[in-house]
Amino acid sequence: MLVVEHLTKVYEDGTVALKDVSFTVEDGEFLVIIGLSGSGKSTLLRCINRLIEPTEGHIFWNGVDITQTSEAEMRRIRREIGMIFQHFNLVERSSVLTNVLTGRLGYLPSWWSLINYFPQAEKRRAMAALERVGIGDKAHNRADALSGGQKQRVGIARALMQEPKMILADEPVASLDPVLAHSILGYLETLNQEQNITVLCSLHYLDLVQRYATKVIGLRDGQLVYEGTREQIRNITDAEFKHIYGQEAQRLSVGG
Amino acid sequence: MAEKSTPLARPSWLQALLSLVVPGLGQAVSGAFSRGFYILLSVVTLSGLAVFAAAQRPRYPDYSLSFHAYLAFVAESAALLVFLLAIYWLVRRYAMRTEFARNAATPAFVVLVIIVLGITAPAMIDTVLSAAELKKLYALTSLLTAFVTVAIWAWNIFDAAHLRSSERAPGMGTFYMLLIAGILVLGTRIVQINPEKAIREYKDTGVILSRIVWPWKVAFDYSESELVATADIQAPCPPGATPPPVAQPKEGQPWVSVTPTCGALSKRDSTGKPIFGTLLSIKGGGFKPNKKVHIQWANPLGDAFTPRGFGPTDIPVGPDGTFTTQLYIPDVTIPSVAKGPQIHQLRIVQRGAAQFTGKLSKEMKLALQAMLESIMMGLMATAAGIVLSVPLSFLAARNLMSTLHTTTQGFVGGVIGLVGGAYLGKLAGDWLTPMVGGLEKAPILTFSIYLVLVLGLAILAYRLLGRALTSAAEHLPAPVSLGIGIAGMALVGAVVGYLLGLGYAHGILGITRGTEGAVAAAPHTALLGAALGAFLGAFWAWRLGTSTTIPIGQMIYATVRLILNIGRSIEPLIWAIMGVIWVGPGPFAGFIALTIHSVAALGKLYSEAIESIDPGPIEALQATGANRLQTIVYAVVPQVMPPFTAFTLYRWDINVRMSTIIGLVGGGGIGFLLIQWIHQFQYEQAGLAVWLITITVATLDFVSASIREKMV
Repeated sequence: MLVVEHLTKVYEDGTVALKDVSFTVEDGEFLVIIGLSGSGKSTLLRCINRLIEPTEGHIFWNGVDITQTSEAEMRRIRREIGMIFQHFNLVERSSVLTNVLTGRLGYLPSWWSLINYFPQAEKRRAMAALERVGIGDKAHNRADALSGGQKQRVGIARALMQEPKMILADEPVASLDPVLAHSILGYLETLNQEQNITVLCSLHYLDLVQRYATKVIGLRDGQLVYEGTREQIRNITDAEFKHIYGQEAQRLSVGG
Repeated sequence: MAEKSTPLARPSWLQALLSLVVPGLGQAVSGAFSRGFYILLSVVTLSGLAVFAAAQRPRYPDYSLSFHAYLAFVAESAALLVFLLAIYWLVRRYAMRTEFARNAATPAFVVLVIIVLGITAPAMIDTVLSAAELKKLYALTSLLTAFVTVAIWAWNIFDAAHLRSSERAPGMGTFYMLLIAGILVLGTRIVQINPEKAIREYKDTGVILSRIVWPWKVAFDYSESELVATADIQAPCPPGATPPPVAQPKEGQPWVSVTPTCGALSKRDSTGKPIFGTLLSIKGGGFKPNKKVHIQWANPLGDAFTPRGFGPTDIPVGPDGTFTTQLYIPDVTIPSVAKGPQIHQLRIVQRGAAQFTGKLSKEMKLALQAMLESIMMGLMATAAGIVLSVPLSFLAARNLMSTLHTTTQGFVGGVIGLVGGAYLGKLAGDWLTPMVGGLEKAPILTFSIYLVLVLGLAILAYRLLGRALTSAAEHLPAPVSLGIGIAGMALVGAVVGYLLGLGYAHGILGITRGTEGAVAAAPHTALLGAALGAFLGAFWAWRLGTSTTIPIGQMIYATVRLILNIGRSIEPLIWAIMGVIWVGPGPFAGFIALTIHSVAALGKLYSEAIESIDPGPIEALQATGANRLQTIVYAVVPQVMPPFTAFTLYRWDINVRMSTIIGLVGGGGIGFLLIQWIHQFQYEQAGLAVWLITITVATLDFVSASIREKMV
């Protein structure tokens, strides 16, 4: 269970990215975070695995306050939290297999990396992860030879290597076309439903949100302005919509 | 209103007057301070350069002009300018009544100026040439400098007169043009650019140049077939001596027979004129017909010379292979210890055509060896540069280092651990290395052991102590951990302060008080420094408290960058001189120089490559729980491989180029050979070296360019 309490982030230049945000995510939830660009979605996700240090507030992950842990402890916690990114963040010049294997680094002795050693068992695990996202045949291609959709599947496979209990997805489909978007979110939904992995995902398109979310929170200027269940987001009113996205916003839909 | 402001019509005579006395003053008074300042600065600079050029007289007697002559030029050209301006004013005042005159005034004035210059300038040069015996070029540059100075002065007065605080100042185009012209003219003089000399002396260069440009004759050995016949002659010839026997003709072999075989040496009188000794009749045969033979005289020690002035030395051989000639016994300097009769030798030598053997000459072999030495020097320096600069480059990459922070306690633990660990490593090395034979018997092994122990223990102790103190600070009550931090920082501060105090005594006080005074003062300044450092350290730790952190990464980054910048701003040739002082002349000194410069240059290029990578993969790997080392290996290294390869090739290219000339200062390789040959006027051999360098560099250029094209 993830509990976020009074989370505030102020960047060094004085920008207030998050202001007193509190919410709770039960295990097995598919939580979608909505809001305009710059509303603090990315900052929120990165505070949860402390890629960004929160300024104030607490984040409890299964009872442990991860804002107070040491660096070494934080690395152990990060192993349980996978992350996928809008721009995939693959090492373009490395092979697909190596990219997937790097998801396992948190479990391996660090000096192995000096001789670029991965045990056979881990390589089999990586192949299995790639098979699961349907691109086992691309294992030995360079990552920059893949299409956008394939790259994001490599990103998911990398996260799967961590055997995560939770996946943070930072606008995972914003760089993809609608068909691919459904395919990627489909994978996340399968993981969510079959392995009970909690998913925290920021999304732009309302119909994708309505299709996949079991719970929704809305951010505006770093503040939590909306909290709703699956049923509530499917019946979102114009007033609520404009409260999240501003008065000039128009509801768009994406195909599929 | 009595006075009406007419800014355009009436020039300000006051400002003009001020600017006449001090350039730029009038402008400053009118409110244009920076304009006035620049004008003053320019005039001062230009005059300063002119005075400097004039003062070069003692260094370059041929190429200078006395200050008086310069002042005379200024005065004369000022008078000329005033005269011209007066004419211009008169023309404007009286001749410009009609439209035509108004239109024609400016062109006419320019023509007038050119005519006047054409008439006066050569006359002035002439005057100076005959009066002061100066070189033409210097008369010309001085004249031009004087003109430009006066023109700037005049422009400045004109400008001051027309400047109004209420208006936007007009452009300074004229001023800049004049300034640039003046500096270029003075530059010509100071750099001693002299086209006439270059053209005049080119002719004499031709011979030497041709030997350098096409030196291939000395690259090979030539065999010379020689036919030699000898005859022994005794000199002087005291009565009762038994002369050597007269040689008899031998069939199928060259022979020479001389009569008599015993005689008196020639002598020289006080004026150097020879007083001839015994005349020898020489007959010989068995040589190649219709060619010349050459006569040589060998003294009793066997040193042969051509006895010019005592008879013909090049004698034609008849069709039957024989010849006859006559020769006075030459004057031979005989060591005073060798008294009495000596046996000399007459040699008849007939040289055949020089034959190409296809073997390389000694010089060519030397040059090739030295070239190989140079190439290897560049290669080794590049290899050592890569090994040393890669770790440094990670420490000098802002994006990796800026995230590193530590607590006060961690910092103290780290510093103490680093220094203590390094010292422990040295002790362990002292204990361990005698077992493998020490520095004399196993230098490389000993060096490696020391390197591993010192670095390894330092890093280990740095991590352990840093972590121990950090976690102690977390678990102990706040006042105790704050106390640890304060005490530790005081200790570190005291050590640094102690060293700075010592440095102050020897470095600063040593200048004013001499070495003895510095030694006397050192204990006090060191203690004072330690106390001050301890106080500052403790104060800093107290201010930081337990929560805030020290940006250790930024500190390391700044330090490494500073070291790299210093290393790079000292040229390899200077480093080579230091290397020669350190390890003596030879390729090792050159290697040291090139390595130091390579580390500095590559370190900067590498770290900039690291700074420009995509941060996404780093973020992704951190999110998986990978630590710093794993993140660097899997997210940074793959991204920096292409730029690293390109920079390494580029550096290799530079290193081989540099290695060919680093020998000029004693760094070994082909440059060493080249400078020696040039000093010995062996221009053909020097030409060989130049050719080898050119070929190597061109080949390397091509190779590295094509590799770079393929790899990057």
